[in-house]
Amino acid sequence: MNDQVPVVGEERPETCRAPDAEERSLWRRVMDQFADHCRSRSLFVLHYCTGCGAVELPPTITSRFDMERVGVSPMVTPRQADLLLITGYLSVKTLKRVILSYEQMQSPKYVLGFGSCTINGGMYWNSYATVKRLDQYIPVDGFIAGCMPRPEAVQQVILDLMRRIDSGQANAWRDYYLDYDTYLGRQAALFGEEWHTPTDVVAEARHYGYFGPGTTGVHTARLKNYTEWALNQIPELLPERGRNEKART
Amino acid sequence: MSLLDLLLLLSLLTTLYLYAFGNHRNAGHLGMVVYAVATGLVIAMAGPLADGTGAVGSTFAPVMLGHVLSWSMDGLGWFFALLTTGAAFFASWYMSGEWNAEQPNKRIQHGTLALNVFCMLLLLSSGDLLSLFIGWEFVSWAAFLMMTQLGSHAARAAFRYMLYALAGAMAVFAAILIVKAQIGSFAFADLRAAVPALSDGLKWLLFGLFGLGFGVKMAIVPFHLWQAPAYSFTPGASSAFLNAVSARMGLFAILLVLGKLIGFATLSDLALPLIPMDAKTLLMWVAAITMVVPTFIALMQTDARMLLTWHGIGQGGYMLLGVLVATPLGTAAGLMHVLNYASYQMALVLAVFAVIHRTGTADLDELGGLIKRMPFTYLALLMGIIGLAGLPPMNGFVSKWMIYKSLLDTQQPLLLIAAFVGTLGTILSVYKLIHNIFLGQLRAEHQKVGEAPGSMLAPMLILAGIGFATGFFPGLALGVVDVAQAALGVELLPHGLGGVYLATGSLNMIWVVGIMIGAIGFGAFVFYVIGNRRYGVHQFDNYAGGHFLSADIRYHFSHEFYPGLARLIGPWYRGSVVNMENGLMIGLKTAGDLWHGAFRIAYTPFYLLVALAIGLWWAGLDGGF
Repeated sequence: MNDQVPVVGEERPETCRAPDAEERSLWRRVMDQFADHCRSRSLFVLHYCTGCGAVELPPTITSRFDMERVGVSPMVTPRQADLLLITGYLSVKTLKRVILSYEQMQSPKYVLGFGSCTINGGMYWNSYATVKRLDQYIPVDGFIAGCMPRPEAVQQVILDLMRRIDSGQANAWRDYYLDYDTYLGRQAALFGEEWHTPTDVVAEARHYGYFGPGTTGVHTARLKNYTEWALNQIPELLPERGRNEKART
Repeated sequence: MSLLDLLLLLSLLTTLYLYAFGNHRNAGHLGMVVYAVATGLVIAMAGPLADGTGAVGSTFAPVMLGHVLSWSMDGLGWFFALLTTGAAFFASWYMSGEWNAEQPNKRIQHGTLALNVFCMLLLLSSGDLLSLFIGWEFVSWAAFLMMTQLGSHAARAAFRYMLYALAGAMAVFAAILIVKAQIGSFAFADLRAAVPALSDGLKWLLFGLFGLGFGVKMAIVPFHLWQAPAYSFTPGASSAFLNAVSARMGLFAILLVLGKLIGFATLSDLALPLIPMDAKTLLMWVAAITMVVPTFIALMQTDARMLLTWHGIGQGGYMLLGVLVATPLGTAAGLMHVLNYASYQMALVLAVFAVIHRTGTADLDELGGLIKRMPFTYLALLMGIIGLAGLPPMNGFVSKWMIYKSLLDTQQPLLLIAAFVGTLGTILSVYKLIHNIFLGQLRAEHQKVGEAPGSMLAPMLILAGIGFATGFFPGLALGVVDVAQAALGVELLPHGLGGVYLATGSLNMIWVVGIMIGAIGFGAFVFYVIGNRRYGVHQFDNYAGGHFLSADIRYHFSHEFYPGLARLIGPWYRGSVVNMENGLMIGLKTAGDLWHGAFRIAYTPFYLLVALAIGLWWAGLDGGF
């Protein structure tokens, strides 16, 4: 049983390289462009709202500004969501939950930061308990300046994101896989050395084909302890993971 | 010696043997062999019964008080006998392996099963009203013995059952004596011939007394309170057997006496004063209420066994409604539902007891996520609930479709709506059953639970397979139903292997199931073959509003499963019938106390003298002196 479960951070002989756009076949390129086009027109937004900016979302989504007409719609679970909105300041405690939810979203996934707080801490710039720069902890596709931004500004940045998704430029999510070790290190610096989530990001990086030199490193090596801890507590906790790995190789 | 003699003798000897040597570890296997042989004997009897008029007689004909008791099995009895021996076979199989090894009272379990089979066969082959009554009493007491085997809670429920059953039996006995007083005979044929000449009042009386007596066994509303606890707390295969067969004895007796001897047509001539309703419609509405009320009581249960047994009562309503429609389609639907119900209900109860066997509980609030640990039990339960809910591709769909169709054809929209409402409640509650046991979060204490052993899996999977086979090819079951329908004197339903063919609309399950399997297969192909790569995640990598989940956090929503619905039906559910029963109990107790007090205080010799005088006077009236 145990030998089928991949250990997080373990070095593997085969490392996946990020596929170069030029290398893809014509068929794949056409299909990817088609998928991107469709994806940009149906963004499901995870209902995980923090800070003051959440109050700008009801007018944005509902009849006055009506973002639903361009395909933006709320979604209650991260697995089915495409877009995570960080609508204001994040306390350290909330950031843990945001990271957990972000990791549970399926790629490709997009993050937008609302207001000054996500950019530089805003009015909480000197708070000990507030995150200053969101993009140090998860990759962010766009920010909206202001305190708080008006719905027009929210609309504008979402339309901009849609345009970039359509043209294949909104690829910040890949950074999380390619530079996972760096992100994990910054998270651990904030939360402490025992920080880990239930999601096996390294295996996901392999799954999506974005396992790079920066995916694993000194920080991900630490995660090994927690995987083994989980396995020792409940031996058959992770049966699916083993089965999937086996089927893939 | 006829085949019926052989069958009864075999059954009696099995009972005696298993009572004596039921503790032997191979008792279950012996039971399997015996019930297989008994099923074979029943099937061998089919030949002369197929045309509907034949019967297999017994040479055993004792004389009691000048009356010759006779036993002979006609097509109707044969149909239920096949059900009985078949169910006993699977029950015995279930008890043959690991289950058998771990039971403290295996001698009683095997013995009572055999005794129940014997008594039921005796009832099903009764040849006149007196032997019917004897069989009826035997069946009641045998079921009582089976229910009390574990004592405690089950015994209390069984005692409650016995009170109902005795009241019912007295009603039946009174009705039989009235018949005897009126027509001077216990023979079925004499009653049948004499019915048109009876007065309306007498017909109402017979209808009421027989309906009460047999209705108690079927647990039709308002006599439904005893059945669920009594069947639920009986162990394992015994409970499955009771669920599948025992209550159907009531349906058999209703079909025999009210359907065949008195005749449903006679009942439709009995008009109620003031309201535009006749005796048959009245009974149909009782059946409709029996479909709806117990089903929604089932919805509120937190014990898996109770949920299933309450459904058993509700499903009995469907059968009764079907046969009361009394068209060829309706009768076939009701009778087919008896067979279908037996197959899936038995699979369901056996599956639930397999879960109890492994986890030690049937509490729906304390289970969850067992699909990874007991996948085959899950499969049996899944197929069972699809049948119970009346959805294709299982057999429950066919018989329920036929019941709906027969109600449509006879233009009874309100009863049709009642049937739909009952089905809705069934669908809701079976989802609760499978969700709370098998889906969702696996509890830490169940991490090491294993699959049920083969001896328990095999019977439930085969029963579920029978349910699927007779859903795919309903003609297999309809062929068996034909025998009973012919014996009832109802015109046969035109049918083929795939379903029923009617001028007003047909059902061909081969197409229905074929298209279903095709569609599901296409979906599976899309998702598993041409779809993207899948990446599974483990159970605690789940979204709970951003919370980190671990084994000590319950995120399996099972307690108070339908809160909105519960609020809606709560006032009804809290039970006027329970209050009524309590009132009756208090009244009965008071009357008993009064009588007991009067008896105890004084005059005992006086009462004896009065009783003696009345007895002598009665004997004198009879011309004894």
